[in-house]
Amino acid sequence: MIDFKDVSKHYDNHTALRKITISVSKGEMVFITGPSGSGKTTLLKLIYLSEKLDEGHITVSERELENLKDSEIPLLRRNIGVVFQDFKLLNNRNVFENIALALRIRGEDDRELKSRVFDALKIVNLRHKADSYPQALSGGEQQRVAIARAIVTEPPIILADEPTGNVDPDTAAGIIKTFKDINARGSTILIASHNRELFRNTGRRVFKLENGNLAGEELG
Amino acid sequence: MSLPYSFKLAVSSMLHEKWINMLSVLTIAAGLLFTAIIAVTIYNVDMLTKKLPDRFSVMVFLKENLPQEELNNIIAIVKKDNSVENVRYIPKDDALKELKATLKNTEYVLEGLGENPLPDSIEIKLKSDAVSPDTVKQLTTVMKDLKGIDEIEYGEKFLSSIYSLRLGVKTAGFVFAAIMISGMIFVCYSTIKLLFYRKVQEIETYKLLGATKGFIRAPFIIEGAAMGLAGGILSLVGILLLYYSVILKLSLTIPLLKALFFPINLSFILPLTGLFLGILGAHIAIGRIRY
Ligand SMILES: Nc1ncnc2c1ncn2[C@@H]1O[C@H](COP(=O)(O)OP(=O)(O)OP(=O)(O)O)[C@@H](O)[C@H]1O
Ligand SMILES: [Mg+2]
Repeated sequence: MIDFKDVSKHYDNHTALRKITISVSKGEMVFITGPSGSGKTTLLKLIYLSEKLDEGHITVSERELENLKDSEIPLLRRNIGVVFQDFKLLNNRNVFENIALALRIRGEDDRELKSRVFDALKIVNLRHKADSYPQALSGGEQQRVAIARAIVTEPPIILADEPTGNVDPDTAAGIIKTFKDINARGSTILIASHNRELFRNTGRRVFKLENGNLAGEELG
Repeated sequence: MSLPYSFKLAVSSMLHEKWINMLSVLTIAAGLLFTAIIAVTIYNVDMLTKKLPDRFSVMVFLKENLPQEELNNIIAIVKKDNSVENVRYIPKDDALKELKATLKNTEYVLEGLGENPLPDSIEIKLKSDAVSPDTVKQLTTVMKDLKGIDEIEYGEKFLSSIYSLRLGVKTAGFVFAAIMISGMIFVCYSTIKLLFYRKVQEIETYKLLGATKGFIRAPFIIEGAAMGLAGGILSLVGILLLYYSVILKLSLTIPLLKALFFPINLSFILPLTGLFLGILGAHIAIGRIRY
């Protein structure tokens, strides 16, 4: 589903990722961990082409990203639900519209849209906040809106960047449970986090990044 | 791409940014109004002067007692010219009759003339698309060298001044219209550019969520189109008001104004031009979208 082969990424004169080779199969749920600045976010960005790789090859759902045409990028991104580390919620829209946006961009009509948005809100326990604006939400609530927006389209791939960074341990456990449920329905999921509690005893593969290098792989 | 949603985004942006949108609409309306006034002026100058070629003719006065042979020769040469529509020989007796007919009741002015003082003549009508100072000059220089011709008469000064007027008014009008239209495209361009920049952050998020270029462009194109269309309709209202209230009232005192035509086509040309300018301006403002 997602294949990295000798992938490197340089920012100006700084190397963020060095010769990374990993492979995630369809239906897998894996974790990426490592200290701050080790390259977790960069690795995810390469998958949805927010950043372009400098060396190596990446294949996502049989698409070779090096050769992807500009016009194919939206199609790639529609297959991927991303929980951005900085959420990227739009402040001029309420929670409902923020989540609905992902469906509208895919041309979903109004009839189905409403129930799907409310289903997603229910999963993250925020039905009662549908009419609130992002500024009026706590950090953890905003994070859960971002998760709802990523899962509402039921994409084949979900990338979650520190999806529990702003919540208490109980809520974090709830979020991981949510991802497990979605994974059980077939989505391939990558979760980046420095929080080792998240994957302890999950039995899932964990990739460890250190300073842009793949320092190892273990089972959680 | 969901078009209803694009319309919704465009409408919400128009309401949210109503002042800047209104200002652009007014600017476009004013620009189109001025352009329309110019267009109406050109249209009227054109209408008034278009019929002139039909009435235009060259009179060739012949020497007295010209032999038939030479007359035929002159007519043959004139007829060969490409710009000539037809040639009519007017014997002096016919000319006198025509003169008498025009004078009707004031025939007495001709009394006591005794012998017919008028010369024989040829009237040359030109093809209406060939009537211009240049072709007439060409024709007359050829004829001047012919034997048997006494004098050639055509409204030389009049013809060339009408032509300069037509040409001058048209050129000035088109230059002015071109400047105004570029100006209006620029107004749409800068307004949409401004609105686009205000939403750069939002658009980045759209892109990351998988929006196509069409999805991103559509609301801005719709907004530009609405702006242009509103400006066009407003300018139409303006020129109609101007025509009916001012021109028609003034024509009571200045009867010449009554002859002004209102080109009815303007009622769809103005809104459509506005629409087109708005779309074009918005299109240029958005430019190329890259992921
Ligand atoms: N746009 C950029 N321009 C220049 N350098 C960048 C850019 N983005 C990231 N970097 C650098 O690349 C390295 C990896 O950054 P990245 O965001 O991938 O780390 P991370 O593992 O996600 O860290 P964190 O846990 O703090 O989110 C860092 O040293 C960072 O400073
Ligand atoms: Mg990060």
